[in-house]
Parts: sequence; structure tokens; C-alpha cells
Amino acid sequence: MTKDSDLRESRLVFYRNDLGKIDRVLQEFVRLSGSSSVLLVDKEGHMITRAGKMPSFDQDTISALVAGSFSATREMAHLLGEQEFSALYHQGERDNIQLSLIGDRTILTVIFDDSTTLGMVRLYVTETVRKLEDLFNDILKSQKDGTNPDIEELSDMTESAKDTLDALFDGN
Amino acid sequence: MVQINFARKEINCKIVYYGPGLSGKTTSLEVVHQRTPQGHKGELTSISTDGDRTLFFDFMPLDLGTIAGMKVKFHLYTVPGQVYYNSTRKLVLLGADGIIFVADSTPGRMDDNQQSMDNLRENLTEMGRDLNKIPLVIQYNKRDLPNPLSVAELEAKLNPNKVPTFETSARTGEGVFQALKAISALVLEDINSSDKKGAMGVAARKPAAAPAAPAAARPAAHNVPAAASRGGEGVMPQKEPGSVLRPSGRPAMAPAASAPAAAVAARDPAPVAVRPRAREQVAVAEAPARPAAPVRQTMSQSRNALHQQVRQVQKQHARREEPADEAPAPAPVHPKSSGGGAKMAFFMILGILAGAAAAVAAVKFLFKF
Repeated sequence: MTKDSDLRESRLVFYRNDLGKIDRVLQEFVRLSGSSSVLLVDKEGHMITRAGKMPSFDQDTISALVAGSFSATREMAHLLGEQEFSALYHQGERDNIQLSLIGDRTILTVIFDDSTTLGMVRLYVTETVRKLEDLFNDILKSQKDGTNPDIEELSDMTESAKDTLDALFDGN
Repeated sequence: MVQINFARKEINCKIVYYGPGLSGKTTSLEVVHQRTPQGHKGELTSISTDGDRTLFFDFMPLDLGTIAGMKVKFHLYTVPGQVYYNSTRKLVLLGADGIIFVADSTPGRMDDNQQSMDNLRENLTEMGRDLNKIPLVIQYNKRDLPNPLSVAELEAKLNPNKVPTFETSARTGEGVFQALKAISALVLEDINSSDKKGAMGVAARKPAAAPAAPAAARPAAHNVPAAASRGGEGVMPQKEPGSVLRPSGRPAMAPAASAPAAAVAARDPAPVAVRPRAREQVAVAEAPARPAAPVRQTMSQSRNALHQQVRQVQKQHARREEPADEAPAPAPVHPKSSGGGAKMAFFMILGILAGAAAAVAAVKFLFKF
């Protein structure tokens, strides 16, 4: 089981190649499990990437609620003497959501309907979580030792931010 | 914590409205939502009580637009202000990249303001973070009330570090956007300065990049009205722009599966029951076809086949609704050809024998009388 504590203690950074690998794992998962769509969300509620059908709901909102839901259940887990619950399931009449923790920082959010079953989803979730944990470890390692060929620099945003913020906020 | 996604060209940040209960956090967020142009905002979601008090959080995604080639998205949250909701408040505060503290200017609420600011500091400390190093602005809200608390008094009690402050009225919307603009600038500045430190081992260093824009002199307490001006001069750099990688102090994950999940698994046993048998079949079927294939490939093939098998069984299950209870599985296992005939013959013989036995018994019975 991954203990990506380094990852937990700092910001998340994903480069093109990293995300390409993650996307491939997610696409395979969607194909095998018969899920409608899958979202990878960080624990702060920001979506990292997604695969499957384009959902009709607001992805930012569902990501935030997923993270909130996980935070709340973590508190429940503490009360029971657990450190964390690693999986959650929300059952609806038509659509269902299966949430699974990956390492310390990310949550796999699977949305599926009655064209597949929870058992099927869980079967492939277990494997996907393991794959993603390994992948995150590799990503972290390659970023740490500088061997990631895709490392990019963040441009200085301060100047261009000013115009954008003026345009958005002034006059309101 | 900030998430930088170079593949999607996105930067995601979390801003939290903090403050005592009924100070105007949710109202401020509502103002932001109402006045943000379409295309820059998502839905405003509230998890609140029947009485409209925030229970967990209010949430709104805000799309700032493209800055230096990256799409910057802010997630705006409010915390529940009531004292006894501290555990949920902490959950929302986790991973915040910037904080807008909404103080209540109502006379008699100074203690609540101070208590909430202390609570913010304590909660952050508990998470291994330092309020002095997090982008922070303060809204002195409800300035439209008659005889509000004086700004000087509020400054003295709540703003020892002289962070940017704004006199606001969430009810009318006055000053709310200016505060948000200020925190946005501070957070973006913080991201840049953090980046030079190389977060998560990223070698993203800009050799000679200038530190964040120098911004105007810090507004003094009684200068606060300047914030109400549209230019956003209230924005100023934090004291320690370089300090970044703050440990969040969150607990490590537990490997154990959750109880509800386990319960659900028990309720849905079908695939588990089917899996071993299907796997055996697949192994037999696949092995001669691709003897030299690497193990990994064979496994994935067998997984695909397993997947199909499971689906088949499910379909057959669904179709066979009538005496579906007993023996659902054998159908796909047995080949259709000779097995069916043998079975028929066997049952016919059985029938004949049973008939004969019955006839003999009947004759015996008749002869008795």
C-alpha cells in the first residue's frame, strides 16, 4: 500500500506524461467494469482527470462533495478507532457512486448505472487502485529525482494575473 | 493544497471563508455567485440545516480565466461558523490555499470575532500550518449597520499582522469582490513563490524570476476604505512569501475496507460466486491458443474473458426469471450437443422404470383383495 506522505505534504503536480498514463488506466477500467464514468479527485476536492462518458453534472461540484464526503467519513472512522475508511458506496435508484481511496491524496470516483453491478465495479476498482498507487509512486519518484522528461516550469503569473483579476472583479 | 495540472493546463486552489456564526460568510459567497459573470462560475451548493445555517459547507467553483497559459480555478468554501461545529470546520479548512476571514461589525460581537480568529489559528496549528504564512484577508462585514464596531478596534484585536482588510456589506455586496480579488492575487503570488521552492520534488525552478509583484504599501487599519475602491490597492504581499511546503499533518490512510462497503459486497455476491469457475474455464480455453504469451498478457486476456463470462451469466440470470432460484449456473458450463440427449434418455428410462414399478405395485394391491 502506498504511503505517499511526501505527496500528502505538498501540492500535487501532474505533467503531461503522468496524466497520459493515469488516463490509460482509467480508460481500461471504464471498459472492463462497464461504468459510466470515472473521476480522479484529490482530497481537496479538485478533479485531476476523468474517463468515460462526459457526465451531465457539474464535475467541480461533485469533486468537492466527494472530498467532503470522504472527510466526513474519516471523522466517523476516527470515532470507531479506524484511521480512515478506504471505500464508500452511495446507492441510487439508477446511478450509483463507488469511492475508493488511492494512497493518501486521491479518490477514485466511479459512477455506474444498472448496466453493470457493484460486484463487477469493485472487482476492477481493487486492481485499478493498486495500479494507480504504483503509478503515483513512480510519478513522485521521477519528479523527485528529476528524471521526469516532462517537467515544466510555471510562468510568473503575477503580472498577467493583474489584468485577469481586474477584468473579472472590477465593475462588480 | 494547490493542484497544478500541466497536462490539462490547470491550476486549482481552495479559498475558505472563515469567521464566527452569522457574520456573513454564506451571504458573501452568494454575492460572489450572483455577480460573477456566466461562464466563470459553477453552481452554488450548500449543505445547510433547515434553518439555513451552514451545516458542513457552501461551495462554489470560480473560473478566474487563463493566466500565463494556465486555466486558474478557485474552489470557494464557507465553514459553519457556530462554535460547536469545529470538527466540520476543520475538515473544510484542510488544504486551504487562502482564507478570507469575515468578521462581524455588530456591536457586542467582538468576542465572537476574536474567538473565531483564535480558533482559526489553533485549527491551522493542529494541521501543522501557520496562519502567518497563509494568504489571508479580512472582511469587516456589516458596515452598513448603524453604529458598527470601529475599524480601529477591529484592527487592534483581529489584525496584528496587518493583512489587507476590507470594509464590506455582504447584504449590499459592497467590498466583497474587492476582498476576493485581493485573496486571489495573494494566492497566485504564493503559488509562484512556492513553485520556486520546488513543490513535491518538482524541479520547476525559475532561475531569475522576480518575486511576486511588489504591490502597494500595506493599508493601515483606518485606510481600509481604500479597499472599497475598484483598483484593489488593498492587495499586499504576505510577510514571508517564500515559505511554502507546509505539512498538513493529516493521518495516513487505513488499509481496512469500510463496513458499509463490506455490507454492500455481501449484498451483491454474484460476481464473486461466478469468478473462480469462470477463471478455470478461461485458463483451459486460453492456454492452448497462446502458449508463449507472457503471463501478464494471458492474465489480462483471462480477465476479459472472465468479464464476458460474468456478463453472460448475468444475462442468463435475468432472462430465466421463472424457476430461477435453483441451479442458475450450469447452463454455460455444459456444451449443448450430446449432453442434452443423454439426459433425455436417462430421464425416459427413469420414467419407464417408475411406471413399471407403479404398475407392479398396483397389480399386487389388486391381487391382495
